Amino acid sequence: MKRYGRELSVTASLGALLLLLAVVAPAFFGRQQLLTTLTAAAPVLVVACGMTLVVLTRQIDISVGSQFALCSVAAGLLARAGWPMPAVILAVLAGGALLGAFNGLLVAGLGLPSIVVTLATFVTWRETLRWWREGEFVKDLPDRFQWLGLGQSSGQLFILLAAAAVFALLVYGLRRSAVGRFVYAVGSDREAARLSGIRPEWVTWGTFVTLGALVGVAAVLNAIRFADVDPKTGTGLEMQVVAGVVVGGVAVSGGRGTLWGVLAGVLLLACIAPALVFLKFPPQWEKAIQGAIILVAVAADGSRRARR
Amino acid sequence: MNRFLSLLPALLVLALASVGCKPSAPDTAGAAQTKTGSDAAAPAGGGAGKALTIAFLPKSKGNAYFIAARQGAEQAAKELGIKLLYDGPTEPDPAKQNEIVETWITRGVDVIAAACENREGISTALRKAQSRGIKVVTFDADALPDARSFFVNQATPEGIGNALTDEAARLLNGSGEYAIITASLTAGNMIEWQKAIEKRNAEKYPNLKRVALRPCDDLKDKAFAEATAILNANPNVKLLMNICSPAVPGAAEAVKQAGKAGQVKVIGLGLPNENKRYVKEGVTDTVILWRVVDLGRLTIHVAAATARGELKPGATQFTAGALGSFKVSGDNVLLGEPFKFTKDNIDQFDF
Repeated sequence: MKRYGRELSVTASLGALLLLLAVVAPAFFGRQQLLTTLTAAAPVLVVACGMTLVVLTRQIDISVGSQFALCSVAAGLLARAGWPMPAVILAVLAGGALLGAFNGLLVAGLGLPSIVVTLATFVTWRETLRWWREGEFVKDLPDRFQWLGLGQSSGQLFILLAAAAVFALLVYGLRRSAVGRFVYAVGSDREAARLSGIRPEWVTWGTFVTLGALVGVAAVLNAIRFADVDPKTGTGLEMQVVAGVVVGGVAVSGGRGTLWGVLAGVLLLACIAPALVFLKFPPQWEKAIQGAIILVAVAADGSRRARR
Repeated sequence: MNRFLSLLPALLVLALASVGCKPSAPDTAGAAQTKTGSDAAAPAGGGAGKALTIAFLPKSKGNAYFIAARQGAEQAAKELGIKLLYDGPTEPDPAKQNEIVETWITRGVDVIAAACENREGISTALRKAQSRGIKVVTFDADALPDARSFFVNQATPEGIGNALTDEAARLLNGSGEYAIITASLTAGNMIEWQKAIEKRNAEKYPNLKRVALRPCDDLKDKAFAEATAILNANPNVKLLMNICSPAVPGAAEAVKQAGKAGQVKVIGLGLPNENKRYVKEGVTDTVILWRVVDLGRLTIHVAAATARGELKPGATQFTAGALGSFKVSGDNVLLGEPFKFTKDNIDQFDF
């Protein structure tokens, strides 16, 4: 019980918010609103799962928003060039993995601090995109792009199932596989991990590659909700993702946290923005409330560590 | 040895910097001398049968918006028999704009017409141009007033606010609830537009009621999420007014996915190309923007008239040939009422 205290408290906060909405604004649970909230949260969850791996090894990747934008634009351009959608998905997944591998190489290979490396790639990819696209949407996409050509309801179902599959796979992988235990081991005590025969560099590199690939998946899941691609998409994604991970109880100091907590954290933050519209809060409050939630989460971590 | 090694990167940077700078410096200086030498008479003389040279500087040259402005500029150049130069940064870059202005000063053009990325940043270069006898006008985005003779103003806040509010009132037959999606609550131009909308609303349409105002951070995906929440939280909202360009297609997609196309109207400030799809599907009713091609055309007319002394400070009216007559307010030449793109005309525009 105590061990999963954080997961439970975040879930309780989410439950309280949903209860409040159920009483004050039941329209929040209307089919269309609910599906939109969940399909918007699905790509964030996919990236947050990847980010969890990176944070568990005591690193961080703040370039995910820029990677996401590059992947989204690439998906649009490839689809427009006539590629079938399965090929587009694979290509974008590979492209994302490549971007992740580049970050991973600089962090794990050269031993540079991940916050500086990914700050650099964050700016570089974003500016590359601005120079290349000049803010122009990728338009005139083929009909098979939006909802993968399946229509709105089936498309939304596909997005939710895909995100659920990624989540389940990673939950299983982290808990049951040897690689999952390596990730925790490297984050808890890098030197001890090395002495027990794990290669920390490879584990760290692998988490960045996985995160990149998941960013690619998330970019597709997000882009197919729309009829065209805004090259500014994913701006601020790093904030949403890191916040979800931290609020979900993953320790920034590495080695501790679960994906279930991250799921609750991502959902909590995803509900806040639309909830404020329903509760008729002035829009100025949105970011302040998000910030306050993160502060509370970090403070809870701090006090827990202080007590030890 | 260790100390030397730690200095190595710094030395490398220095070496690279000197290699990078040295050869190019005398190069540009040399070019400058020959160019000023041969064209020395151009800026000063300019009269007696010699065609005016007008340099047209967009914020970024590949951008569809400025390409449309360029079409108008070229049309005006033909009408007036002047020589038009078109150059700009490939991306919006204030430093690059300054470089281009410097090149034109060296080359000795007669007029520079600039859309400024950075108001303060470019003004020094433009003042320098003025001190060499080059006339300067601005369009789309102004420089500091003392760095140019006239600004061709594409839209006043009142013009935009009135056009949007009038269109909303027309679509709702003068009464009903609407919501605004803006880029941010702090951007200066957005706030001016909001105020103009509020003022017009209060003065002319007492039964028109704004029930929500939400920012979308200038992102289409966020505008979509905001629009969805607004529609579900306020079932009586019958119109979404979007005052930043990504919000127009974002809100249209939200209305479409909610199955409310036609029941909830969508209008906003935006570019025709980004909205064509939704306008044709009948989701978006009206996209409002100034006439971008005419902006380019009028700018060249103003530039030429300034150089020829036909447009002087204090004027209240300016006639731009076949384009018609325009109001001059102080040192601003006003392009006039915004243009409405609808199902009937949107296919004629490509930007």
